[in-house]
Amino acid sequence: MSDHALTEEPLHIGEGGRLLGILTLPAAPPGNARELPVFVFLSAGLLHRVGPRRLYVHLARELARMGFSSLRVDLAGVGDSSPRPGLTNEQSITADYGEIVSALESRLGPLSLVLGGLCSAADHAIKLAPADRRVIGMLLLDMVCFSDDRFVVRAFIARYLKPARYSAWLMRRIKAVSIPFLDRFKGVGQFSLRLSNVPTREQIRAAFEAIHERDGRVLSVFTQYALHNYYNRPGQLARVVGIDGYRRFCTELYWPEAEHSYDLDAHQRRLIEEVKTWAAGYSHS
Amino acid sequence: MNEAFFFGPAARQLFGNYHAPAGGDGQVLTVICPPLFFDYMRTQPTLRRLAISLAERSQHVLRFDYRGTGDSFGEPGEVTVSDWVEDIALAVREGLDISGSQKVRLLGVRASALLACRSLGAVSNFQRLVLWDPVPDGAAYLQEIRGVQAILVQRHLRLSRDEHHQGILEYAGHPVSERMLNEFRLLDASAYSVVPSSKLQVVSTSPVKPFPVAGVSQNVAPVACNWEMDTEEPFMPQSVLLERLIVCLTTP
Repeated sequence: MSDHALTEEPLHIGEGGRLLGILTLPAAPPGNARELPVFVFLSAGLLHRVGPRRLYVHLARELARMGFSSLRVDLAGVGDSSPRPGLTNEQSITADYGEIVSALESRLGPLSLVLGGLCSAADHAIKLAPADRRVIGMLLLDMVCFSDDRFVVRAFIARYLKPARYSAWLMRRIKAVSIPFLDRFKGVGQFSLRLSNVPTREQIRAAFEAIHERDGRVLSVFTQYALHNYYNRPGQLARVVGIDGYRRFCTELYWPEAEHSYDLDAHQRRLIEEVKTWAAGYSHS
Repeated sequence: MNEAFFFGPAARQLFGNYHAPAGGDGQVLTVICPPLFFDYMRTQPTLRRLAISLAERSQHVLRFDYRGTGDSFGEPGEVTVSDWVEDIALAVREGLDISGSQKVRLLGVRASALLACRSLGAVSNFQRLVLWDPVPDGAAYLQEIRGVQAILVQRHLRLSRDEHHQGILEYAGHPVSERMLNEFRLLDASAYSVVPSSKLQVVSTSPVKPFPVAGVSQNVAPVACNWEMDTEEPFMPQSVLLERLIVCLTTP
């Protein structure tokens, strides 16, 4: 596919072309094209490489207009990529990643990478980044985040400052009378622990440390999905990661007004502009 | 074996995925016309699985994305219904070029059922049209999406007045043109009547939604597709549905 600013080509990846991705390239690469990282957008849950409301398509094409190449790819078992029978999810993703990078290097030569995407894609990026020195950036949209020491207090305040809650409070109180009051908050902030395959607190920290050591950069954005589940204050991720100099290489945004899949055009456009602004930092460095 | 590629004129290239027949030199080409908006993402795994199954039964299969959808060029706000009807004809020509087939069968899913009917005048070697849960008409379809979109916007409690207004006007998060809407409203059930009933088959997932044209073979595959949901989360391929579609698309 082409328009005046970019070209796109399908990339059949791995043995027998098991994985399918779309490679987006700037039509006229800038002078520093070889120094710019290639963005790799991993599958967001079960959604295929297009992403919710074509988010990955829009990101890829906007980044190409800035001179960045990118690959949006279906991981094994998602979209147009065949599953890897007999492997665990983690093993399958590790195998996918090896083949993805190999295919990209065959096509583009030596490269550096920005890994990321929405939800599970962000979680995969966190797990893959520490072991690969080519990864110099992460784009993390609603990555999982652990609670910091004030999370429960903030959740409590937020819950009880909502006027709508009072109308039903009495009924809930009667039903919950047998449950000790503070026990009801024990599950809050533990969302990530109930899901399989999400990164641990240590893996999150390791990924951020690795990017920091490589002079890389991280953009994380949290929406109302995170607010409802595991994130309720700007800077919570910084406190969880706990790395000196976090703010020098990380941009952490909190958009409780946006929905997880950026289901309104205005929210998606705002995200794309934010990613473009962040990505421009690679052009300047 | 399948091969992904872009095709069509440079200014409006479409994304396609061709599935070659597993055995022999299949004589039939099936072109799968995907549904639109929310339905597009939700049906992707099922339509891929169907394409693989048809290829295993010696058919050539081409899946494609309309302009402004999926991996294809453009945005929904820049295209019209007539563009999408043209895209079907273009996909059929591409499929015939690749496959050398002599017979063309089309699958139209949801709103694509209407588009596929409209495209038939420009489709050569047409043999059969199979419709999966065809929408009754364009106006009703738009109304359904607007209803879903309104619920979606209502869930956003922190929108400005402008954002709320814009959000209500979107279709599954995509701005669309007034021309697109007008052309959709003109697609009434008469679009189905132009297809000879002997060449038309319908697969419905709900027995309570009769096809608006009498005398058309209707197969019921009871599967909960929940088309009215405001989600893009795909549903997994259901064997009862796949079997019905395969029978309709492979019976000589």
